[in-house]
Amino acid sequence: MRGGAIPLLVWGTILFVLAVGNWVWNDRAVGSGAASAAVVIVYAFGVGLWLARREAIRRGPPGPASEPETVPQASLSAMVVGLSVGCALFGLVWAKFLLDFGIALFIVSVGRLALEVRAERASRRAAPREERPS
Amino acid sequence: MSLASTRSPRISRMSGWLGTLTSTDHKRMGLTLGVCSLFFFLLGGVFALLMRTQLAQSNMQFVSDNSYNELFTMHGSTMIYLFVTPMAIAMGLYLVPLQIGATRVSAPRLCLAGLWTWLCGGLVMQQGWFASGGAGRAGWSSYAPLSNGTNTPGVGQDLWVIGVLLAACGMFVMAACLVATIARRRAPGMSLLRMPVFTWTELVSVLMVVGAFPMLILVMILLYIDRHGGHIFTGFAGAIDYQDLFWFFGHPVVYVMFFPYLGAAAEAIAVSSHKRWFGYIAFVASMMMFAGLSMAVWSHHMYVTGGVTNQYFAFTSTALLVPAGIEYFDMVGTLIGGSIVLRTSMLFALAFFLQFLVGGLSGIFVASPVLDYQAYGTYIIVAHFHYTLFAGSIFGFFAGVYHWFPKISGALLRERLGKLQLLLMVVGTNLTFFPMFFLGNDGMPRRVSRYPTHPGWGTLNELETIGAGIIALGVLTFLVNVFVSLRRPVPAGDDPWLGHTLEWATTSPPPPLNFEAALPPIRSYAPLLDLREAEIDRARERAEVDAG
Repeated sequence: MRGGAIPLLVWGTILFVLAVGNWVWNDRAVGSGAASAAVVIVYAFGVGLWLARREAIRRGPPGPASEPETVPQASLSAMVVGLSVGCALFGLVWAKFLLDFGIALFIVSVGRLALEVRAERASRRAAPREERPS
Repeated sequence: MSLASTRSPRISRMSGWLGTLTSTDHKRMGLTLGVCSLFFFLLGGVFALLMRTQLAQSNMQFVSDNSYNELFTMHGSTMIYLFVTPMAIAMGLYLVPLQIGATRVSAPRLCLAGLWTWLCGGLVMQQGWFASGGAGRAGWSSYAPLSNGTNTPGVGQDLWVIGVLLAACGMFVMAACLVATIARRRAPGMSLLRMPVFTWTELVSVLMVVGAFPMLILVMILLYIDRHGGHIFTGFAGAIDYQDLFWFFGHPVVYVMFFPYLGAAAEAIAVSSHKRWFGYIAFVASMMMFAGLSMAVWSHHMYVTGGVTNQYFAFTSTALLVPAGIEYFDMVGTLIGGSIVLRTSMLFALAFFLQFLVGGLSGIFVASPVLDYQAYGTYIIVAHFHYTLFAGSIFGFFAGVYHWFPKISGALLRERLGKLQLLLMVVGTNLTFFPMFFLGNDGMPRRVSRYPTHPGWGTLNELETIGAGIIALGVLTFLVNVFVSLRRPVPAGDDPWLGHTLEWATTSPPPPLNFEAALPPIRSYAPLLDLREAEIDRARERAEVDAG
């Protein structure tokens, strides 16, 4: 099976079975048109993926990774992002200055986070030159 | 896989307490989330004890009616949004990367931001106690129109809404990070059908969080707007809309609060039986079926509203029996023929299955609209969901704690204290929740702070209050056990139980990048058991050659 068609076809089948079961039970309680349309749409997407014959991103068990990766140890800015969201929403209820403060803190911490991620990428790019085994 | 250390001055490096709080190591994040959840568990437990004290006798005046409403609202909310669900995610954060042989979690900064957002949510929700008018008091589900600005005015309810919103956003983000970790960071050879049972239960849980929690986020935003003049949930249709939206989140979360603990109990049973988990493929399929059906049963909470198709939801709710039956069958299949060691984790796991059975069986009754019409709003429902949510999570949680504590801390928990805790918790749970079936059958309504003098009700309520106290003693015993075990540690070694999965292949506690030595070959969902069995086979062959 290709391109992630299985989940859609399974989903469509479950919808179909549930709709039929429900219709057998009580045909007046089921919106036959809506149920049929849902099944057809889901199946159509599933069949579309099947016919597109798109290869799965990865088949079988994962293989060994060859690229170096960075492992961040700590991130004050990520913590502050969480706190700033909390502060802003708390301010929505409690005091408006906390809302403004939270939004400002959020902007600053996201900026700082962007710098962290940039530095991490630079570190990763430099890693093969520094640490490639001889 | 080569690893580049992060050397840029722009990348944070912290030490001490700040290092722990800002750490992007999945183990530290998991521990922080777990410890905070445990704190909220104790807080929710105190609320429960206060409620049970109020209900010990008829017409008690221990707390006011309004305070009682706040207590049951905050008890349910604290337990669901701040303990059981986040603890399930915390266990996943700590253990899943280890079980799949990953060095870290995907998007660790996002995960850390999610952790702090969740924590802010918990603190904002509890802040309601200090608000004029008190904390949220419209129940953990806060049905509209009860929870609108007219019927439940005050800042406390607003703080509840914002608290739930923040907690849900945080949990959603952490769950998404776990999904990405499982999808992208599995060790070489670890295909989906070679993932350990616990990792599968976590995967299905976090997928449900990702699928269902946006609905909670949406409904809290709408409720906030509604409370501030938005007029969103008005009239009968508005009330039904709220319940539909809420329970589309609310029922899947029941399984989010169950699956990881089921996985923990399954790991404890398999390891303590010295057998691999029986019927692995069927178990995985049953989890998927459970997850699929959990998205199609939400309106069984709304049978009595007259606004939903009862037959359909009775059908899907009853169909939940099939995957549940498969899981029990697998558990029994694992035990049969196993070399069983009745250590504390195993006993908790067995208690988990037996106690949850009571909740599951009573669930069959309330899945039927005819019976639910009788049981709705009575203590039968309270008994049912406490047997599913309390027994179905806490016992599995403690099975997991006793199983993995040596891995996390490097020290063994005391077995005697553990067994004493189990005894207290089994007695306490049944003494607290079983009489509720009789009270409910007799018509005692839930969510009332006082009840009339009625033959038998006083005695049963007194028993329940005593039972709640015994549960509290059980939890206290656990805390003493942790304290003693950390204060005077008995070294556990790397693999004290002869575990089956990759986390037992590393040191206890694991190093920062999880694995210092090469991983063993992964050819099944129990790679360490494979190694041991291969070794036994080789020894047997050698013995036969020597004898021959």
